[in-house]
Amino acid sequence: MISQIAKKEMLEMRRDGRFQVASAIVLGLLLVSLGIGWQQYVSVNRQHEMARAETREQWLSQGKKNPHSAAHYGVYAFKPKSPLSLVDRGADQYTGVAVWLEAHKQNEFKYKPARDANTLARFGDLTASSVLQLLVPLLIILMSFSSFAGERESGTLRLLLSMGIAREKLALGKALGVAGGLGMLLVPAALIGSAALVLASDSGSFVANLPRLGWMTASYLLYFAAFVGISLTVSALAKSARLALVCLLGFWIFNGLAAPRLFSDVSRTVHRTPSSFAFSQRMDGELKKGFDGEALKKKVMAQYGVTSMEALPVNFLGISLKAGEDHGNEVYDKLYSELWDTFEAQNRLQQQGGVVAPLMAMRSVSMGLSGTDFAQFRDFSVAAEKYRRVLNDAMNDDLKNSPKTEGPYMADEKLWSKVPEFAYVMPEVNVVLGQQAWSLGLLVLWALGATGMAGWAATRRLRAE
Amino acid sequence: MLQAIGLSKSYGAQTALDGLNLEVKPGEIFCLLGANGAGKTTTINLFLNFIEPTSGLAKINGLDVASDALETKKYIAYIPEQVSLYKNLTGLENLDYFATLASGAAVEKPRLVGYLREVDLPSGAEDRKVSTYSKGMRQKIVIAIAMAKQAKALLLDEPTSGLDPKASNEFSQLIRKLAGNGTAILMATHDLFRAKEDGSRVGIMRQGRLRQVLNTDEFGHADLERIYLEHMHD
Repeated sequence: MISQIAKKEMLEMRRDGRFQVASAIVLGLLLVSLGIGWQQYVSVNRQHEMARAETREQWLSQGKKNPHSAAHYGVYAFKPKSPLSLVDRGADQYTGVAVWLEAHKQNEFKYKPARDANTLARFGDLTASSVLQLLVPLLIILMSFSSFAGERESGTLRLLLSMGIAREKLALGKALGVAGGLGMLLVPAALIGSAALVLASDSGSFVANLPRLGWMTASYLLYFAAFVGISLTVSALAKSARLALVCLLGFWIFNGLAAPRLFSDVSRTVHRTPSSFAFSQRMDGELKKGFDGEALKKKVMAQYGVTSMEALPVNFLGISLKAGEDHGNEVYDKLYSELWDTFEAQNRLQQQGGVVAPLMAMRSVSMGLSGTDFAQFRDFSVAAEKYRRVLNDAMNDDLKNSPKTEGPYMADEKLWSKVPEFAYVMPEVNVVLGQQAWSLGLLVLWALGATGMAGWAATRRLRAE
Repeated sequence: MLQAIGLSKSYGAQTALDGLNLEVKPGEIFCLLGANGAGKTTTINLFLNFIEPTSGLAKINGLDVASDALETKKYIAYIPEQVSLYKNLTGLENLDYFATLASGAAVEKPRLVGYLREVDLPSGAEDRKVSTYSKGMRQKIVIAIAMAKQAKALLLDEPTSGLDPKASNEFSQLIRKLAGNGTAILMATHDLFRAKEDGSRVGIMRQGRLRQVLNTDEFGHADLERIYLEHMHD
């Protein structure tokens, strides 16, 4: 009987021109955005692959050089793009995806597409995630605002209720009808999206990303279920279909436009970050303090049991450079941790917003699973920085143990190839799920709460007129 | 089949229905007459359990509608004044949907078409969208639903308002046929002529009270109008 109700709801939707137009638009946008995402992913990935090979090749073939010069020559590290980033580009636009690893300095990330974007970008990107997070809920509202209120207005609800059908079955049938209507739209899109994923990634990385894809699908379904529940609740309670629509559009605007703005402003006010200029000023100040060169000399001489610098069995330059690195690293670790902790505090505060606006929770989960959120940017940055230190230590170590000769010491490919290539592996899905536990929990609560409310409203509060 | 015992409904200080006692037996057509606001629709809504009585009981087939809401609805069919169906569905699709919900299982198509022939829906109309139907045609669909449901009692709210005389005549033939098959029919109406023609008994209501019940074979058309007006004047 429930399936009969769902079938009839879908039949009505199929015959409703407005629904056809609206879903054609949403489906079109979804496919276009997936296409754009796919094209970007493929081209960026190819560029990364080329650049990665090139930077390694350049490093290996830099010729004979003093190891410290080689450290200055440096290498580039590229944040790998997950195939799922074609669904959600997340913070990549703003954080950047490439960093130059060189001696002395922990550099800022480069290649931030947001920097090159024009003001149109303020209206938001056309990504599959924005279609799924904003437009699909709007479609759900349009599909279901009149579910009960419209039938009450037209009078069919009286006839329907006089049939002696249990109201919970009616509510479930209607919810499934909306789900079915949505499925007609999302199932093809999901199939095409998955095909794009398979095409975009080699088989290994596709399989590796399956858990992320599964969790992402599940969390979007929870998000949609919440909207179906909310829409049916309002439709059952509202006096008229028009009032139901107004209320639901109000919630949609709050969820999609007002709440993100509000929580981002609040988070920035509560957890202030320094301006880029102030941050680098402070960094320079701290770095300039330097370390005590004389004390280091004394310490090294004592360590090797000699009384003069000339008598040292090792090259002091290597030791001094290493000490310089260590001091710099200390400063970088302190200042970057402070800055990144602040960003994370901002993010956490924004995630609290998921209590009143499910979008805030959904956005966080979606970015996390796409590997484009701040936490994974930080994870990559830390890995790249660790590698920079490994590389510098290798150079300085070699310099320290270099033979004392008249001319400048030169190292060659033997040393360069001792430094392994930078390889970064994205965190396991469990790590991401741990980071997103709060938001995922909120999505579950929204879905259960909203569908429960709809059941309650339809069984206890639904009036025949 | 239909039974009201001391049935009352008030909204605050306003009394919509005041101590109604009524019984409609199988095969009987009981017509409730009265001005707007006399309590006719309230009575029907109470039998449908769309509203809760302030006091008293409404019973269908011996069961209290308030405590056995779903069970009692199995025995009844309801035809509202504004017969509304799903506009974008065809007559047959509407019948199929409601008949399935009412009986809890799918009803095979030939049987549904059979019901539509029985209510005399013009041939071919069942595959047209209901948005093209007249009220009389929509009503026929709802009667077909009642037949498919094999309802033991029928609740009709102003069924003939807005029907042309021919459609009105067809309609009375249909409900007489249903009554002939043993269906108990409670009909709220303004149509004194139809009430006299079709009804077994008529009840005259005013301000929530059932003032008088008459057997239709005991008086003529003119008498009914006179008695009715007398009740309205005092």
